[in-house]
Amino acid sequence: MASDDDALKAAVFQRLHPRTYLDRFVAEKYRPDGRQFDGWRDVSVNVGSISTADGSALVRLGETTIVCGVKAEFAEPELDAPDAGFLVPNVDLPALCSPKFKPGPPSDEAQVLSDRLNEVLSTTIPLSSLVIKPGKLVWVLYVDATCINYDGNVFDAALLAMVAALRNTKLPKPIIRENDEHVVCSRTETIPLQIAKTPISMSFGVFDTTLLADPTAFEEPLLDTTISVVLDEQNSLVAVSQLGPGLPGDEDVLSTCISAAKQRRVSLEKQIL
Amino acid sequence: MDRRRINGPTEDSFGPVFEADEVEGIWTPADGRKDRGLLDIRPIFLQPGLISQANGSAYIETQKTKIACAVYGPRQSKNTAYSETGPAQCGSQVHPILMSTPTRASASLQDAEDRSVAVAIHQALVSSVRLELLPKSTIDVFITIIECDGLESCVAAGSIAASTALADAGIELFGLVVSCAASLVENQVWLDPTEDEERVSAGTIVLSCLPALNKITNVWQTGQMPALDVLRCMEACQQKATAEIHSIVAQALLENAKI
Repeated sequence: MASDDDALKAAVFQRLHPRTYLDRFVAEKYRPDGRQFDGWRDVSVNVGSISTADGSALVRLGETTIVCGVKAEFAEPELDAPDAGFLVPNVDLPALCSPKFKPGPPSDEAQVLSDRLNEVLSTTIPLSSLVIKPGKLVWVLYVDATCINYDGNVFDAALLAMVAALRNTKLPKPIIRENDEHVVCSRTETIPLQIAKTPISMSFGVFDTTLLADPTAFEEPLLDTTISVVLDEQNSLVAVSQLGPGLPGDEDVLSTCISAAKQRRVSLEKQIL
Repeated sequence: MDRRRINGPTEDSFGPVFEADEVEGIWTPADGRKDRGLLDIRPIFLQPGLISQANGSAYIETQKTKIACAVYGPRQSKNTAYSETGPAQCGSQVHPILMSTPTRASASLQDAEDRSVAVAIHQALVSSVRLELLPKSTIDVFITIIECDGLESCVAAGSIAASTALADAGIELFGLVVSCAASLVENQVWLDPTEDEERVSAGTIVLSCLPALNKITNVWQTGQMPALDVLRCMEACQQKATAEIHSIVAQALLENAKI
């Protein structure tokens, strides 16, 4: 019973004084979930589990869970860009995934997330590869990700889910006949997408003067700074974002993060792709 | 045009058109069921407690149908008039992800169908919860349909998941609600119909019951059926729910509690 009692006391303390709670852990060089400052949570990627989508992926990053499906449709290209298809990524943070969110239209956080993902994903697929008939017909790829469990670092998990779902996507092969306006698709033949880049994001947070890798939902609201580093398969930078101040003193927090991210990218690549 | 989302082409997009050539193996009821008998349900995988942020949660998978459910609460009701003993409210919301059906739903419009599914699940659950113990509070039940194979079976699976999640949240219940769907196909009762089977059926019912009290909490019937056939379907559903599904749910909760 004594240990139950202590666990309850710790939970109450965590709820009432989250900053002090995390401070005490950081002073001991550990984080509440038992990781060290530069430790990452386990990642698992499961592709092709949604049969109604053209490509899908389920990603778990620790407890954070994201499902992503890709649906391909036909559309007319825009007049000013006859040789470009469409890639439309959206993230949904439903009320199911965390008590932070309310039902209704996308929250500010979901909108910002979708926008950042859109910028990164635009490097993955050349839009010209989605053209069926120039100026007439192109593919639209709807890439919809939904968060099932929100336990921090959703950006990394969502990007991984979207990239894995796109790699899993197979488009039905369009059959173009001459003298025929209509394009039909083969029921049996499929073609994979042309993926130019495989960006993976690694995020960090600064708590007081400590750099924490892969922050959880408990740590995220306590961070002074969040940093995301997106790298492609050559380990070159695709995007970097830093929200908030750097570390005090001379230390260059951004280059620390970039080198840590490069190491992580290599080990992650072996594990999941 | 919805400025809160990333938008696609300005003109509407449409699903690809497939060749109309000889398609083999379009399913007809005469083919029967290959992998199970008419009175068998699809195997159920049920995992409580998958969503760590929620007070209670459950994930259910019956072959293609995949549903996640989270329960938040009981929490304080806002904007309710003061009452000494006023019972709690229990709200439920169903939210299919855009990929759950073969055609992608429009993102900005919440389909009228979601509402009716939410109402059906709400009705199935509400009489099992001891709301009188929780005055002035709200329990939110959120359901996300990841993939749907048969709407009525989906309602049944959603009710099971929601009841499991309520139990996982430690909310006092009169009993577990279990639910089963049945279709009348060529004058035979087919339990747990898939999308294809529902399409060819004369009518479909979803029955939710409380096996602990031997009571029915909700019946939802669509299509056309003579009253006697409705009763036949209901009996088959109730028997299956009481005999099999209830013990699956109880077992899943028990195993989760042990860990």
